[in-house]
Amino acid sequence: MTSNLHRETFEDVAFRAGYLALLVFMLLPLLVVIVTSFSGSGRIAFPPDSFSLVWYGEFFESIRWLNAFTNSLIVGFGTALAATVLGVMGAFGQEIEDGSFGKLLAPLVLIPLLIPPVILGITLLMYFNEVGLRGSYASIVLAHTLWATPLVYFVMRSVFSRFDWQQLDAAHDLGAGPIRSFVQVVLPNVKHGIFVGALLAFIISLQEFVMALFLSTPNTETIPVLAWTEIRQALDPMVSVVSTFLILISVGAIVVAVIATNLEWLSKQLS
Amino acid sequence: MSEITLSELEKQYGETTAVEDVSVEINDGELLCLLGPSGSGKSTTLRMIAGLETPTDGEISIGEDDVTDRPAYERNTSTVFQDWALFPHKSVLENVAFGLKMRDVPAEEREERARAMLERVQMGSYDDEDPTNLSGGQKQRVALARSLAVNPDVLLLDEPLSNLDKRLREDMQIELREIHEDLEETFVHVTHDQDEAFTLADRIGIMADGNLVQVGSPNEVYENPKNRFIEGFLGDTNFIDGEVDRVTAETVHVETELGREIVLPTDEEPDIDEGAELTLSLRPEILSIDQPVSAQSDGGQTVLADGSTTNAVIGTVENVLYRGSTVRYSVSSNGTTMFVERTGASTDALTAGDDIRIDWNGADVLAFRADGTRVSL
Repeated sequence: MTSNLHRETFEDVAFRAGYLALLVFMLLPLLVVIVTSFSGSGRIAFPPDSFSLVWYGEFFESIRWLNAFTNSLIVGFGTALAATVLGVMGAFGQEIEDGSFGKLLAPLVLIPLLIPPVILGITLLMYFNEVGLRGSYASIVLAHTLWATPLVYFVMRSVFSRFDWQQLDAAHDLGAGPIRSFVQVVLPNVKHGIFVGALLAFIISLQEFVMALFLSTPNTETIPVLAWTEIRQALDPMVSVVSTFLILISVGAIVVAVIATNLEWLSKQLS
Repeated sequence: MSEITLSELEKQYGETTAVEDVSVEINDGELLCLLGPSGSGKSTTLRMIAGLETPTDGEISIGEDDVTDRPAYERNTSTVFQDWALFPHKSVLENVAFGLKMRDVPAEEREERARAMLERVQMGSYDDEDPTNLSGGQKQRVALARSLAVNPDVLLLDEPLSNLDKRLREDMQIELREIHEDLEETFVHVTHDQDEAFTLADRIGIMADGNLVQVGSPNEVYENPKNRFIEGFLGDTNFIDGEVDRVTAETVHVETELGREIVLPTDEEPDIDEGAELTLSLRPEILSIDQPVSAQSDGGQTVLADGSTTNAVIGTVENVLYRGSTVRYSVSSNGTTMFVERTGASTDALTAGDDIRIDWNGADVLAFRADGTRVSL
């Protein structure tokens, strides 16, 4: 009995150690990127010959990088907004009226995720050319929304599945029309889920490269697009600096999401 | 005025029929209980009155208005849900004031009215509480206050007491009854608990398989059930199968699985043929038990002077079940098991193995045809 228990514990430990090792191995490149961003010399090497903040200084002086940064934020916020509205409405509508169209919705929404981004990029470029959106922020926002909407949709499906729909009945019953009942009763229950979905859409947009490469012009190029162009010319630590910022934003977003979803839980624990 | 008329109400979900045919007029100020087993369509009927479901056929009118196609938020009905469905992110007071807010009642007035309603259900000191922290009974009171706060024409109750423990449920039944008497509003109460229906209802509507089978006062449906389903559903009874042996002007003689002929007195010539299969219902309260005293009273039947008949069988006690105020004996007679009851106060307690004699008046026995319909005797 005891030896059995011991063995199980040993297997547990071995599993955890193996899992941790795999995780570290996969996350190590991120560490390499961050470390090389503090390089003092003009080329990427690990470990760097010397450490300095010189490339960070360069970044904040480069108008092109700062523009790309702004572009990424504009496209990211636009995508988050569009994908969240579409994803939330789709998932909500399906909960309310799960007809035969509803059954088609899930696979339909998934399609953009299954088409290679290169193909999407080319087709969208031709399409936006036709409708006169070429070179606009809107074209990149729409392309990214195509990708981000399914993710928001699936997040919201799971959020809504945990919602007590009798509350919506109760709201209707007490005289709240469709809009007021959504705002007053559904929204407060799912706002954390919506926030997480929006954050996810933002991050998807921030890191998307292939479609942005096709659709952006020098005026609208996002960070991944500029990074690509720069790398092709010279592999200097500026790329590491930009990557570090992207990693920081993503990690920051995850932290915010965790805090947002657990805030209510936290306040209950404290009271 | 808020009488409710349901006519030929039907609700189908795809291939499934939840409600097949419900027609009833509910009087203004009446408390009607819809009673039935789960899946009988009683909750669906209630939700159609509330406007939360749209009937596939039939009409609903409240007062003078046909409300069949009117959504829930345009009807002045109010529902207390089974799980109460309080809004977890709002305080108790905000919950109760919600309906008034949706009716655009000014903030001060709605707070005042909500507080008054919380006082009414003895929850006045809980106004700032988070509803998720309340006990089941407290949630129930808040849900009731929330529904009553909008001053509805009709209050609909969807098994709101079924999640409470027995004691609390009985207290709430009395309280609901009092509230109903105070407000003189129309209440429709759905329940699967017959005791609850008998305690609360002015009239009981019994539902089975999507149909409203019988509507009547509690006394009427219990004493005068329309079919075998209702007899079995309302309280416990012994169903004894038998076959009609012969029919006379005053009596029906039934050969039963008890191995004895049971005689039922009749007022008029009953609509039943010789040889027809019958099920007889012997409720425990019509059965009296005795130790068999002598050989001459070993069962059979005697016609009494007033034309009624007394029947009796001899059996052996198999099981004794103490149920607090009553003792239930399971008795085997000729291979058929029946149960009889006595109040616990009876001194000469019987034990398993005792031979006893069970007597009843044939006039108290109800008879049902093979298709479940009642034979009027």
